[in-house]
Amino acid sequence: MSKILGIDLGTTNSAMAIVEAGQPRILENKEGMRTTPSVVAVGKNGERYVGVTAKRQAVTNHKNTIYSVKRLIGRRFNDVEVQGDRKLLPYEIREGKQGDIEIKIGDDWKKPAEISAMILQKLKADAEDKLGEKITEAIITVPAYFDDAQRKATKDAGEIAGLSVKRVINEPTAAALAYGLGKPAKGGSASGGKDEKIVVYDFGGGTFDVSVLEVSEDTIEVKSTGGDTHLGGDDIDQRIIQYFVDEFKKESGMDVSKDQQVIQRLKDAAEKAKHELSSTLQTEVNIPFLTADSSGPKHFSISFTRAKLEELTRDFVDRSIKLTKHVLDDAGLKISDIHEVVLVGGQTRMPLIIEEVKKFFGKEPHKDINPDEVVAVGAAVQGGIMQGDIRDVLLLDVTPLSLGIETLGGVFTRMIEKNTTIPVAKTQVYSTAADSQPSVEIHILQGERAMANDNKTLGRFILDGIPPAPRGVPQVEVSFDIDANGILNVKAKDKATNKEQSIRIEGSSGLSEDEKKRMTADAEKFASEDAKKKELAEARNLGETLAYSTEKMIKDNEAPDAPAGAGKIKEDDKKELNDKIEKVRSSLKLDNVSEIKSATEDLSKSAQRVGGELYKQAPPTEASGQTPPPASEQPKTGEQPKET
Amino acid sequence: MDNLNNMNDEDKKITEETKAEAPEVMVSTDKSEEYLNNWKQERADFINYKKDEARRVEQFVRFANEDVILEAIEIVDDLEIAHQNFAKQNLGGQAGELNKGLEQIVTKFKELFRKYGVEEIAVSGQKFNPELHEAMETEPGGEKMVQLRTGYTMHGKVIRPSRVKITK
Repeated sequence: MSKILGIDLGTTNSAMAIVEAGQPRILENKEGMRTTPSVVAVGKNGERYVGVTAKRQAVTNHKNTIYSVKRLIGRRFNDVEVQGDRKLLPYEIREGKQGDIEIKIGDDWKKPAEISAMILQKLKADAEDKLGEKITEAIITVPAYFDDAQRKATKDAGEIAGLSVKRVINEPTAAALAYGLGKPAKGGSASGGKDEKIVVYDFGGGTFDVSVLEVSEDTIEVKSTGGDTHLGGDDIDQRIIQYFVDEFKKESGMDVSKDQQVIQRLKDAAEKAKHELSSTLQTEVNIPFLTADSSGPKHFSISFTRAKLEELTRDFVDRSIKLTKHVLDDAGLKISDIHEVVLVGGQTRMPLIIEEVKKFFGKEPHKDINPDEVVAVGAAVQGGIMQGDIRDVLLLDVTPLSLGIETLGGVFTRMIEKNTTIPVAKTQVYSTAADSQPSVEIHILQGERAMANDNKTLGRFILDGIPPAPRGVPQVEVSFDIDANGILNVKAKDKATNKEQSIRIEGSSGLSEDEKKRMTADAEKFASEDAKKKELAEARNLGETLAYSTEKMIKDNEAPDAPAGAGKIKEDDKKELNDKIEKVRSSLKLDNVSEIKSATEDLSKSAQRVGGELYKQAPPTEASGQTPPPASEQPKTGEQPKET
Repeated sequence: MDNLNNMNDEDKKITEETKAEAPEVMVSTDKSEEYLNNWKQERADFINYKKDEARRVEQFVRFANEDVILEAIEIVDDLEIAHQNFAKQNLGGQAGELNKGLEQIVTKFKELFRKYGVEEIAVSGQKFNPELHEAMETEPGGEKMVQLRTGYTMHGKVIRPSRVKITK
């Protein structure tokens, strides 16, 4: 069965995704890009360009380069919007015989659906190329405000491109689906029986759309929709460019607004600065040799802050919030009626937008999925639901919390991470923490906290009969095996004697939803505190291990049966090492991480120096094996797993 | 042979009888077949997924440096612009030597890029090709290209097209 392609046929850019192994995945186009410009062109010799190549040749061929065809698809020539857009479009359009629109491209007049079909054809071909299989079916998204004619024309475009359009779905609906908001949950409706209201705030490159959805059992209904078809990220870029032009004029007295090459360099810098300011508070814009006059070259250098960017563009964001309020009013809803908010469109990465949306709705919006791709992902999810791929995956359970064992210092060492799909099996080798340790206790835990004490005990058992050996030498293989029914089997085996012990735990995933939530929330709440505890435990382990191995090095090199070349640690060095070992040991009694670390580091330096000298003294052939390896290569003790 | 045929007929008879007597056996047979097929399908999907994943990882490793290289290319752009500016002024003496040094730095960067499979896109003497070039300005009837910003490919993939002006 061939895959259903999810397509976000956008005004500026399009994207495509499929569901693979139950998970949606964005497909890159032939050029290796995750989005494809929605641009089509016909060259002088009749050659057709679609996507980024069409965009790159646009200035050489603007009359035959068609972009924003989505603004025209399925519309009447006399529509007010069409007449408005007509003034802005560089290509020619005319009224068709049925009062529809025809676009001149090359020597032909084409319907908007035929142009959109060219974009879809490219996406189809690139997807087939990527997947190595034929694509015959698709889900295409359209804005919620599209009427029947526009939807029909979009479907026609798909058919012309050789795709059987299984469904035309609303973009906000797709976005909600991508977050699993409109998908029926296991054994129930989307929201456990009650209707949920979702707002989808879509601030794209050239358009702003906002929709209110009502999700009930098996249906997602658009309650109201609105926006501004000429408000987008491009407006924000223009503002930044204008600011740069003004600043440069203030600095140099030169007006560069008419110089295309300079404007292009400023545009590149503006886009880069905008992106950077989504994650930092300040960025340096440096454009050397921007231009020149009789006095010599002129450079542009400015410190651009997030605060300045927000000041420059706040009115756009305010306008979007005002439009959002209108849409809520149209739906007859109050802010408190809204359960979820979803962000769509690249511009929603801007912290000011996230903050204002959060402030307006009083809740954190969904923004984890790439906002440029979320609609295509949702379309693929819809395809997956139709094909049964998604439901199949839901049948496979996942571990609700991490599973692991307690290791030296009371640290919780994870064996199976949270959200791992079951059945699953993992094996790791551990060792002993003390010399001649006869047994190890396997304490099995579940949870997200760093320390064993803070997690839930599932069971424990003892593996004994380990032959006497120095710490770190015995190899105890611990296996965790969860079967498809969620039953956990834990086994520990001493690799030297093959002696083993095991335990079967049936209730490993028997936690209530509340318990799972509480444990996950606790892990977040105590994250920094836990990290400190873990750091202390690890610092202690490291300190103890180093003190032990250094002591061993001293002992080995003074023992009567020490190999030739040994026994050459100078008395001064021995004293220095012993003092430092003592310092490490006394620091271990305290809870001061930095003190432990500094004492350990101090000892490490001395031990390495003395170890190095021993190597130098020893004859080359006999050197290996006589002195302990450097600290970093020491056999791991206690909790430290070894790679299997 | 007759015996064998008889045996087969007998077996068939028994099977038919069993089926007639125990429809649950049929259901179980069908179910086990369905499960086996589903399992085979899952295995095939998984093996194919692993192959795809291996290809993706290979691509990822091949292009892992792309972002860093693109950032470095921007610095080289600035150095090139500086070099061109100095060259235009035709400065001799110490300034001329400084410019030569600047040119050498650019060359060193480009050699470094080549080590990572990054090559410059040719413009001079070429015909405009939107797969490789991005037209920023054009003169009516123009055919020739003047490079405004160097373009690069990485292992054959265009990571940044050349920006060009089309002139007569």
